[in-house]
Amino acid sequence: MHHAYIDKFAYQDSAIHRLDSRVKFIVVVVFTAVVISLPRTSLSILACYAVGPFAVLVWAGIPLRFAFKQVLLVCPFVLVLALSCPFYDRTPLAVAFGPWVWDVTVGWMRCFVILGKFVVTMLALIALVSTTRFNDLLVGLRWLGMPRILVVQLGFLYRYIFVLIDRAHHILRARAGRKLRNLGFKRELSIAAAMLGSLFVRSIDTAEHINVAMQARGFDGTWKTLSRLRVRPADYVFASAAMFFVFGLYFFLKPALQ
Amino acid sequence: MTKAIEIESFSYTYPDGTPALSGVSLSVEHGEKLVLIGPNGAGKSTLLLVMAGFLRGTGKVRIDGLEVNRANLKKIRASLGSCLENPEDQLFMPRLFDDVAFGPINMGLEPEEVTKRVTDALETVGLAGMGERAPHHLSAGQKRAAAIATILSMAPKIITLDEPEGSLDPRHRKNLVELLKTLPQTLVIATCNMNFAAALAERVVLVDDGRIIADGDPKKIMWDSRLMAEHGLEVPGSM
Repeated sequence: MHHAYIDKFAYQDSAIHRLDSRVKFIVVVVFTAVVISLPRTSLSILACYAVGPFAVLVWAGIPLRFAFKQVLLVCPFVLVLALSCPFYDRTPLAVAFGPWVWDVTVGWMRCFVILGKFVVTMLALIALVSTTRFNDLLVGLRWLGMPRILVVQLGFLYRYIFVLIDRAHHILRARAGRKLRNLGFKRELSIAAAMLGSLFVRSIDTAEHINVAMQARGFDGTWKTLSRLRVRPADYVFASAAMFFVFGLYFFLKPALQ
Repeated sequence: MTKAIEIESFSYTYPDGTPALSGVSLSVEHGEKLVLIGPNGAGKSTLLLVMAGFLRGTGKVRIDGLEVNRANLKKIRASLGSCLENPEDQLFMPRLFDDVAFGPINMGLEPEEVTKRVTDALETVGLAGMGERAPHHLSAGQKRAAAIATILSMAPKIITLDEPEGSLDPRHRKNLVELLKTLPQTLVIATCNMNFAAALAERVVLVDDGRIIADGDPKKIMWDSRLMAEHGLEVPGSM
């Protein structure tokens, strides 16, 4: 079965792909923190910040269509939050862009800014995931101090989420193949519960087999891997340019645009 | 000289009271390629788990001269590599390289030696240069080969494989047979695919209902159509 893997472009080769995962991760965290801290009524500064992730995506050869598809997939959660803003803050606000002036409300402005911040930070995150192999990201996170158990859990999640999705698809297909009429809500609910139960039991079964496979290869409870991360001159250049971009906009352009 | 595997009057009962193995005795020489055949539920996989020290019962089990007990488990698992039926269970790391390196790292080898073993193991199974791939990006045949590489990198003297040909197409099955034939290690393979067994076996052990029914020359056992039919099996090439 083929999946829309979130990291399907992470195996390409580009200058961005070759950067150290820790450097990329720190840059994305700083970028996200700064974008989130921007005023809730300023759209123009957000547009400037959007240039960063766009440039990285284009440079790394990640199709923008793919990036926006990923943004759309998770946007419903933020849409609910953003669309509630116009209802609780109706203070009038005049927005000017060159010679044009619009009358809106603070609520609508906040709605657009929340959506804008979401899109910009999501694009940064997608740029990170699409240019960094998940394993390198995990090694980087471990190096940056994330608890080992959490890194291991993330590794297992990444490895087995697709196996679990495949199994769920197979069960759904088996159900569809034998379900020839509408069974009613209550019956459907009990079937769904049985299917979830079956998935759960299979997951436990898989976990037991993995435990056997790990012990058979000498696992003694301590997780060990060969770390290959290395910070090179290109990483310093990228980190410096990114910090200059993020804080340059914040300290020099933000006051001018407000 | 010690035998690769020695099992004496071994019996094992599942926790629910179902007998799985009853009075099994088996001896395997170093370098032998032995195939365990038998119908589903005969006890083949259980026997492989017993060899790797995952199940304890009554009777004696010795691997490369070492008795299977808690104190010897580490040494035993370094000399006996177990390849599970489903490669998805065998490949649990996010990157193939780390999966193949998992065993050698746990053996306490130096990073250079680990890298060399991983490279060699991947080359042996025909996956050279694919160490950076994520296991879920591999095909079924590649996953099977990768699962074998995770064992080869530990350089064990004995390898057990549970239904290694399962879900492989004829071309990948043929490649697997060629690969297994070239391995110098002692091989113990459990399968109910008679053609696969016939292509590999130097010696066949027929297991059914938790007991050893026949042990010996593959030609005498596998081409005995009455014996095969009695135990729900078929003569090779009859399909």
